[in-house]
Amino acid sequence: MDIFVQQLVNSLSVASVTILIGIGITLIFGLAGIVNFAHGEFLMVGGMATWFMAGAGMNFFVALVFAGLLVGALGFAAERCLFRFTLNRPMNGFIMSIGLSVILQHAVIRVFNEFQKSITDPVGLVWTIGGVDIIAMRAIVVAITVVIVAITYFGISRSRYGMALRASVSDRDTAELMGIPVRRYVTGVFIYGSLLAGIGGALMISLFPITPFTGSVIIIRGFAVSLIGGLGNVGGAVVGGLVLGLVDGLSAGYGYPEWTDAYSLVVMILILVLRPQGLLGGTLGPKAS
Amino acid sequence: MSLLAVEHVDTGYGPVAVNRDVSLAVGQNDEIVTILGPNGAGKTTLLRSIAGLVKPRRGTVTFDGRDVTVLHADEKAALGVVMVPEGRHVFADMSVRENLLLGAYCRKDRDAIEADIALMENYFTILAKKRGAKAGTLSGGQQQMLAIARGLMARPRILLLDEPSLGLSPLLVSELQGIIIDVREKFHAAVLLVEQNAGLALSVAEEGYLMNSGRIVASGSIDELKQSSVMQELYLGKRAQQNHGASPASL
Repeated sequence: MDIFVQQLVNSLSVASVTILIGIGITLIFGLAGIVNFAHGEFLMVGGMATWFMAGAGMNFFVALVFAGLLVGALGFAAERCLFRFTLNRPMNGFIMSIGLSVILQHAVIRVFNEFQKSITDPVGLVWTIGGVDIIAMRAIVVAITVVIVAITYFGISRSRYGMALRASVSDRDTAELMGIPVRRYVTGVFIYGSLLAGIGGALMISLFPITPFTGSVIIIRGFAVSLIGGLGNVGGAVVGGLVLGLVDGLSAGYGYPEWTDAYSLVVMILILVLRPQGLLGGTLGPKAS
Repeated sequence: MSLLAVEHVDTGYGPVAVNRDVSLAVGQNDEIVTILGPNGAGKTTLLRSIAGLVKPRRGTVTFDGRDVTVLHADEKAALGVVMVPEGRHVFADMSVRENLLLGAYCRKDRDAIEADIALMENYFTILAKKRGAKAGTLSGGQQQMLAIARGLMARPRILLLDEPSLGLSPLLVSELQGIIIDVREKFHAAVLLVEQNAGLALSVAEEGYLMNSGRIVASGSIDELKQSSVMQELYLGKRAQQNHGASPASL
């Protein structure tokens, strides 16, 4: 039982990172129709920035905020300088994002190097709750993610901006006819999704070492998560992240850890065969106009 | 000066030219103006270019004395040029109330928005009954009412209606007639109505333009238009007759 609870917390902390990247992927796809392949590198850049700042003596949680802002700014630049030109041709945007991901990997290697980086556990505590030992940082990662998911979810379902965002996702032209500045929402979603990737990167490096190539691994998981839940559906990204995180964590604890990625992808394939629209139902992306 | 003036506008998609040298005007006094024409005449594309969804390739669109040719649709909506798209395009997964609120996206006067929602629910009574229902569950006629109400929520100065009668029963079409007139009488907006249903358009509008193959082929007051030989040819299948006595003003 103890092992099970520990595995559960571990799974949830891994799931957290995947959920954060999945939300960004799903939002950007839903509104802009762009499958941003560089989103994993955004996360990696966030992790590397955190490593650099923590190494320079900055408090981890301050570094996390800066990593979020830095990657948010990166997303802003990418949208303004690149992706806005491919809005009407999402396939071009997709291909461009593959190029961007390679450029970012090599930029990081150029600035730092190709070796893996890690930071010491920023909290360094183990909490004993009900006789079960839990690494405090892992619980904190889960808590931060819960807060971010709640803010995102209520922002989208309750606020005026969220309502306009949903309208833009479901029918871009008509949303514009109602006076909704859809282009600005696209930029906003890029910034927000990238910010979450930056925070996800910071949280990830607090759990595991990362390399300049971590992004290309994590992006696959991010897509799996968004697809399992339904692309374009934020609730879906959360459910997908939990499913994948649990499969991962539990298989690592009880089965053959070297097969964890295979398990998760088999689960993804099964879900997509049985429910092609994802567990919660997604969009097909913006309708071509 | 007209409220809306379209001058020498060409439109198209990629290599396909749709409209050529189209000019029209809607006057200041909440006029109801119609653009008639057969399927594929380029009416919808013209309306989309006035609304800002398509950029005109040539020519200008002036609204209230200001050149708005290159503005995006959302910027035009904020100025009061609001289009109700063909096929209704309600936000299907959102509630009727949310659809109405989205219509008022550009407005900041919160109390007045609530008052306007009450006004719409009072006028289109079905919307009050269906307030919490997802718009996608409404019938075609109800969705059309919602689309018009949503457009009116923006408090437009001119409402561009694209084929509102499409897919409606004859009974609803006659109801629509009253609604279009009330857009002017009760909601104080001019109307530019694109229609294939000539009966509806001719019964509500004061001025009309007849479009064929992307060009305006006849225009004038509704009475003049009814008499025009082009109109008779396109709509009644009659050959143009010798009698040109009643030809429209600017044919």
